[in-house]
Amino acid sequence: MNDFEYRAPASVSEAVALLVEKGERARVLAGGTDLIVQLRGGRFTLDRMVDVKGVPELNQLRYDAAEGLVVGAAVPCYRIYEDELVAAHYPALVDAARIIGGIQIQGRASLGGNLCNASPSGDSIGALIALEATAVIAGPGETRSVPVEQFCTAPGRSVLGPGELLVALRLPPPKPRSGAHYLRFIPRYEMDIAIVSAGVAAVLSPDMSSFVSARVALGAVAPTPLFVTEAGAALAGKPISEESIALAAEAARQAARPINDMRGTVEQRRHLAAVLTTRALRGAVARAKGEQVNGH
Amino acid sequence: MTTTYRSVHQRQPRLEGAAKVTGGTVYTADLRLHRMVHAKALRAPYAHALIKRLDVSKARAYPGVVGVFTAADLPQHLPRDGANRLHTVLADKEVMYYGQPVAAVVADEASVAEEALDLIEVEYQELPAVLDILDALKQDAPPVRHSMAGIDRSELAAHTTLAAADEQTTEKTPPNVTHRMVWSRGDVERAFKEADVVVERSFRASWTHQGYIEPMSGIVDCDRNGDYTVWTSTQGDFTTREGLAKVLGVPETKVRVNFVEMGGGFGAKIQPFGAVLPAIIARILRRPVKYIFSRSEDLRSADPSSQAYIETKLAAKKDGAFTAFKARAVYDSGSFPGSPLMAGANLLGAYYKFPNLEIEGLEVITNRVSQGALRAPGTPQATFAIESTVDIMAKELGMDPLELRIKNAVTQGDLMPNGRAFSKIGLVEVLQRFKETSFWKNRNGKPSANGKKVGVGFAVGGWLGGGSPSSASVELNADGTVSVMVGANDVTGTNTSFAQIVSEALGLPIERINVKTGDTSLAPYAGVSAGSKTLRTVGLSVQRAAQDALDQMFKIVSERLECSSEDLESVDGQIRVKGSPEKAITFELLGTMSTGFGSPTPVILGRGNVGTPAAAPGFTIQGAKVEVDPETGEVNILDAVCVQDVGFAINPLSVEGQIQGGVAQSLGLGFSEEMVWDDKGVLRNPTLLDYRIPTALDLPRIETALVEVPVEGAGPYGAKGVGEPPIAAGAAALVNAVSDAVGARVYTLPATSERILAALGKLPG
Amino acid sequence: MAKQIFRLKVNGDNYEVFVEPNRCLHEVIRDEIGLTGTKEGCGTGDCGACTLWINGAPVTSCLMLVGEGEGAEVTTIEGLARDGELHPVQKAFIQHGALQCGFCIPGMIMSAAALLRDNPHPSELEIRQGIAGNLCRCTGYTKIVEAIEAVAAGSR
Repeated sequence: MNDFEYRAPASVSEAVALLVEKGERARVLAGGTDLIVQLRGGRFTLDRMVDVKGVPELNQLRYDAAEGLVVGAAVPCYRIYEDELVAAHYPALVDAARIIGGIQIQGRASLGGNLCNASPSGDSIGALIALEATAVIAGPGETRSVPVEQFCTAPGRSVLGPGELLVALRLPPPKPRSGAHYLRFIPRYEMDIAIVSAGVAAVLSPDMSSFVSARVALGAVAPTPLFVTEAGAALAGKPISEESIALAAEAARQAARPINDMRGTVEQRRHLAAVLTTRALRGAVARAKGEQVNGH
Repeated sequence: MTTTYRSVHQRQPRLEGAAKVTGGTVYTADLRLHRMVHAKALRAPYAHALIKRLDVSKARAYPGVVGVFTAADLPQHLPRDGANRLHTVLADKEVMYYGQPVAAVVADEASVAEEALDLIEVEYQELPAVLDILDALKQDAPPVRHSMAGIDRSELAAHTTLAAADEQTTEKTPPNVTHRMVWSRGDVERAFKEADVVVERSFRASWTHQGYIEPMSGIVDCDRNGDYTVWTSTQGDFTTREGLAKVLGVPETKVRVNFVEMGGGFGAKIQPFGAVLPAIIARILRRPVKYIFSRSEDLRSADPSSQAYIETKLAAKKDGAFTAFKARAVYDSGSFPGSPLMAGANLLGAYYKFPNLEIEGLEVITNRVSQGALRAPGTPQATFAIESTVDIMAKELGMDPLELRIKNAVTQGDLMPNGRAFSKIGLVEVLQRFKETSFWKNRNGKPSANGKKVGVGFAVGGWLGGGSPSSASVELNADGTVSVMVGANDVTGTNTSFAQIVSEALGLPIERINVKTGDTSLAPYAGVSAGSKTLRTVGLSVQRAAQDALDQMFKIVSERLECSSEDLESVDGQIRVKGSPEKAITFELLGTMSTGFGSPTPVILGRGNVGTPAAAPGFTIQGAKVEVDPETGEVNILDAVCVQDVGFAINPLSVEGQIQGGVAQSLGLGFSEEMVWDDKGVLRNPTLLDYRIPTALDLPRIETALVEVPVEGAGPYGAKGVGEPPIAAGAAALVNAVSDAVGARVYTLPATSERILAALGKLPG
Repeated sequence: MAKQIFRLKVNGDNYEVFVEPNRCLHEVIRDEIGLTGTKEGCGTGDCGACTLWINGAPVTSCLMLVGEGEGAEVTTIEGLARDGELHPVQKAFIQHGALQCGFCIPGMIMSAAALLRDNPHPSELEIRQGIAGNLCRCTGYTKIVEAIEAVAAGSR
């Protein structure tokens, strides 16, 4: 690990100033569970580490029936899955937060950090996309908001410019008769990177017989987490049935453009994209109907 | 006959446990010495290349760097021997595997040494790399390496006792085939013609890693007398001494290896890979040198377990009697010869009675890191092949797979492929006991649900058991306590078991016995802790030393009490006359007598030393119950069991624990563990994130059942080796269970979700 | 980069260390403070051998910079036993044969003790989840799970 300076600002403006000063040579540190590994592996070098865990805005976790949920960028996973309001209103977020690493990692890793790491397989990103989350970004200019599906631009790259900082994630309040589910496939039961993941949210008609709309996001099948609008479109207005779900699953399979790597092959990932989309959709429908659905 | 034991055969918690649970146990990396410097290695990014230019001048000039070393700096310190990896500390002109050390930097701080590595300039010329095991068999394959002289088989010898094989190397041998052997008996071809059913298949097992949690590590100091002091994570202090003395070209008296606790080895830490480099640098610098592998270095370039390709052909009569077995086993040794080919090829045909048999074994080298031992080296691969084949045969015959195994299982007098006959073994007893396990009784317990499929599988495994000479001492202290010294590295709780043996022999409470592994300048000799032999070999020496000490005490007591030694017994810390317990002398008094100033009584010092005891093959059957998701290929292991003949369980608590650990590793080989290289020979998963050791969530509670078929003279109380058999069969059992669940069979280990999906025909191409 | 002073509170004791800011917490605790019970098995947060508590929460300290430990109550394996008395989890690990080579054990015990503190009567699945971030290569986890269950049963 190269030498660098460690700073722990107490406010967003202080953090931004520290980042602006060093530009590309500064990095934001939240849980560090990806960043420290990358630093140690020599993936990059830097001059300044800006630890944002002491910034209040980045530690907020707040739910409001009108405003929805605000998750500070540095809130560790365990706070998300231990929060009763989050569990009640955003179970798909709990699905994701519970499976990032083991207990020790969940005590540090944050959804914000997971998003900023911009890995194609980032575990919370599919759930965030399905739940229509937006990223609140502070920087030298105006504070701005970006839909999560537009946040990642390439493996390890995001829309964050020099001096910019992810402050929080905002999730709208869940719509009536809606449900969401997040699933991933890994070789072991824990401690793995997804071979494929699927985050799905669905809104059902008042009589619970058809889909009003749906959002499907896939992980680890493209250079960035993939928002599969075709899958959602395939479901809008369709009756709730295995046939409808199969259409969406096929759309997901078609949209997937994975690579071969040590974790999985192209064929396996396409196949799993369809399987996980199917299962996550079933889970989302069940949750919309008020049924209990377990995570992985 | 039932014997009651006071100490052995009892569940004895580890005597050193308190230090281990409080963080007080010292491992190599925990040590710091004055003037100590830290070494780091620059590792090659290619599997096969020539080093055209190597410029270390910038690294040498980096502040804090004490020295930079390349192969060119070492000849005067290191005799060359191209066939022995220990002598190839740094790549000499040719890189033969990805991750091979090319240069070493030594600095005041480890972080500085690491930074300076980036300043070393190397120009490589890439050469064609041979990676696939079948490519390596080809006559026209490019050579993996240039130096091929003198195949070193010392490591295999440490593991098992095998008859010398029929070694044939002719002019026509392909360039990368380093060993070929054939064992045969009877007439296999005729038997195949006359058989009712013949099953013919081929199997592959991937490269896997021992996965010890403590990385390779070593600290070596060298003083002005040329005396070396060593602390290293090793399975054998004496083998480390021997290896270092050879590499350094110094007498063994000049190398003193201290015992430090080892954080797991499983065969990888037989050779002193962690100590050679710091030893050579210490020789040059005359300062203590510390060298700790990073996890990535450990996965890339330690000594993992080799891949194998095995073809089998099995013939049987309608009644299930096996009539012939023919096999061809190819083991990949990596870039240095020395694979477990012979152990694997022998066990391949050793579980069953085969009147006609032909096994051809081939060792090839490839441009990969050289392989090392992994717990029953060569055996999980061979067991996967034979036990899959037997399962297929059972299906073809329409027979129960367990009854088929019982019918053909070897017993005393049956021949192994190498022509040796089995002594007393417990395979049939193990198979019978299997039917009484909870696993077996509950095998049909859980129906398939949610579209998932449940299946049960099992497999036989075994290990012939290694052996080597050993010694031990037992000494009475002034206060009546007893000090036991051994030279064996305590890897699995052997020192606790030794204390039990001494306690039993002396009739002394275990709290008053202290067993220590001494350093190599003081301790009685013991071989490396490997091959499932430490307890049974060193344990015999300990038992004899205790008896020797007791005889000495009896002699003194019989003179004092004016009785015959035969009339004495040792109970609860005193030696007394049988039937007259009031006539007794305590250990305390004997301790005072034998150490007191001016006392005429000699010191009580018992010695035990034995040669290699009789062989004691240990057999096992392992079962797995799995739930398979046929849409994803995901395997969930619901139940696992291991029934094993341990001869005599000195300490059932640690025997069970060791078996459970072996089963866990074996299941890992079955479903998740695999080293993945790209087509250039670059390891793609050098982290514990992607080299997937099973976690607590991946495994069920592992049931154990101990069968005791003691073999007199093989070990204390007839104990057999325990550590190796449990890794033999778990992977095969798991694959058989998957096949039972989904009706499709995987022929490559591990049975990953992708391979299961492919076997089910769910992946195009 | 110049060394900086960092203030750490480990097992109730205050320390000032003068180190580079890029040093990880486990390195500083081992090399500067001299508490070597916290192990490094991988350096990438995958094995759990470096598990200690930050304000009571188990974390992999190889993924923490020294500066992140400032202001926190750090508890290492050396701080678990109180007044010379082993923690019940420590006792149970010895008694139930839950340790072999011992290298993973400090981290494993820190995870297990945190689990039982927060959930005194966990199910087997909860136990396995609680220690899934700690790799053990020797035991196959069976006796570790039994030891944790024994502690839970004992506190009932």
